[in-house]
Amino acid sequence: MADSPEAIKKHIKLYLFIGAILFVCTVLTVAVAKFEFLDFGDRGFDGVDAVIGLLIATFKATLVALIFMHLNHEKKMVYWLFGLGLFFAFCLMAIFAFAFSDPIEFQAFFGR
Amino acid sequence: MEIPYVVEPRKDTGLNNSKIGIWLFLASEVMLFGGLFSGYIFLRIYADYPWPERTLPVLPGLINTFILIGSSVTVVFAWVSLKLGQWRKFQVYMAITIICAALFMVLKGIEYNAKFAHQAIRLDDYTVIEGHSHPQGGSDDYHAPRKNFNIEADTVQINLSRVDDAYYEVMGKQYDDGGMVLASELTLNDGKVIAKGSAISKELIDQAKNDYLEAIANNSSIDIELGREAWALMKTKYQGKKYYEAVEGTKTLNEVVSAYIKELKKERKGDYSSTTPNLTFVPSSGSATITVNPYWGRLSNPKEGDKGTLKLKDETLISGVTADSSIALAVDGIDFRHTVMKAEERGIDPAVAVANSWLLKDEKIKHIWEKHKLITSKLAEELKAKDREPAENDIYRVNWQEIAGLLDHDLADLESMSYHDILALYPGDVEGFAGPDHKKIHYPEVIVPREQVRFESVFSPRWNTYYATYFTITGLHGLHVIAGALVLGYYLFFGRKMFEEKPEWLANRVEVGGLFWHFVDLVWIFLFPILYLM
Repeated sequence: MADSPEAIKKHIKLYLFIGAILFVCTVLTVAVAKFEFLDFGDRGFDGVDAVIGLLIATFKATLVALIFMHLNHEKKMVYWLFGLGLFFAFCLMAIFAFAFSDPIEFQAFFGR
Repeated sequence: MEIPYVVEPRKDTGLNNSKIGIWLFLASEVMLFGGLFSGYIFLRIYADYPWPERTLPVLPGLINTFILIGSSVTVVFAWVSLKLGQWRKFQVYMAITIICAALFMVLKGIEYNAKFAHQAIRLDDYTVIEGHSHPQGGSDDYHAPRKNFNIEADTVQINLSRVDDAYYEVMGKQYDDGGMVLASELTLNDGKVIAKGSAISKELIDQAKNDYLEAIANNSSIDIELGREAWALMKTKYQGKKYYEAVEGTKTLNEVVSAYIKELKKERKGDYSSTTPNLTFVPSSGSATITVNPYWGRLSNPKEGDKGTLKLKDETLISGVTADSSIALAVDGIDFRHTVMKAEERGIDPAVAVANSWLLKDEKIKHIWEKHKLITSKLAEELKAKDREPAENDIYRVNWQEIAGLLDHDLADLESMSYHDILALYPGDVEGFAGPDHKKIHYPEVIVPREQVRFESVFSPRWNTYYATYFTITGLHGLHVIAGALVLGYYLFFGRKMFEEKPEWLANRVEVGGLFWHFVDLVWIFLFPILYLM
């Protein structure tokens, strides 16, 4: 990681810039939920709003992870650790998705 | 002892140990919150009630998001300052970070407090009304318990083994106030007789309880004595044999001993004390009103005038007639979405189901609903031009802003106004920062008879799965904020010595603490839209 005083000084503006983007994105998230002209899809909350809201949140989270948490220039080991954590978190969600394949309703699930 | 690799990286990992440690921890945190998020998704997809969309006041959540993002920037600057050897700047940035954490928790506290002081009732026809429950008569004390059952009791039977000071504090006083007296003569162990019709008192109950406990102790000690005697005898008789070999005829040893003990008990009959765990009281005149909390006995909603006996969890039996146990609620929200959902399930026209709902029999609420229908029709007209239509939330839910904003306007006023003019009458986000304020605005009060109540609760995890997940995830997140602030505060207040002796080590520590802090921010980045805006 390039963390010599000179390199760090160069990053100060970047940190401020990212902070500003995060603020703007937060306002945008609220605006999408509050204002009619930014409400895509049907009126009120619907799948489109969920996707837009989560996309903005993911973008913000990515910026925090990459810049503030320095994941844009980390050692391989860190990517492995964090990546595995994420992978297992998604596995947990996948387990819930199995609830859609109700084995009583869809008996073919067991190869019958 | 020198701790290895706190500053210089290990050759195999390329990282110092503290960094490996924090990333391992963060990986486990990702899985923890990932599991909670997936639980939320599951509960929302499979919810058997209309999900409370965009129900939380956005402003506290928005401010908290700004606070956390701001603190993420300042914690990075605190680390940068250390790297550049600027202790004073480090102190300033770290102090701001910790103040942000405190502000975040204060706002969360305000939000939680507003939820815990706000109630909702799901009526028998699935209409949901929200508001503050008042004691009937219009007191402003909205914490007053109005959910209790009142019973005109003609007999109360208490279980002496379950009576303690706390019991007497709540129930005994009520018996006392209701003029309850002993239903039959009571003879104490010392031979003293307390006459039928004696007034209830703590001394009397304590005396009866002590007698009962003494009697149990006495009887148990005789039982133990007899048991020992019987087994000692059997041991002598069947010495050297296993218990299953020791049989008399077809009887097992246990049966033999039991029969023997029974015989011995007959001989000692006179030594046993009588043990009656129950004490029965009756009102000295007519009936006495007893108030019980439904949770003391997991009681269902009795109708006013129902006759019967309530059994509480502490085995108290209260016989009598259910008195008026209605709940007075100052209504700040009406939600017919569940009524509509149930009507559709049963193939009933939703409009008919809503029109026939119990709530709309109340004139004040009916007026609110008429105004709401007018507003919805104006909204529908406006949306028609954009080829859109009102959402279910617009049609079937009346929120507190609408009720508060239009309290002084009747239907005729609104007819001439446009939809946007009407919206301008609603209180703003700042006015209802954490929700409706019942101290400033007097919302219309509805008296809900107990038999109309399907379920009632404050907005706690008990109310529904949305609030259960909201409190679980935000509560856990709040604990992370506190823990993070404590760690960062430690660096701020106790880091000076390390800064002078090993500045690189302190910078690494702050970086690791900062990584945790960013993670806390990262979780909130998802929590805010999911819980407040979706």
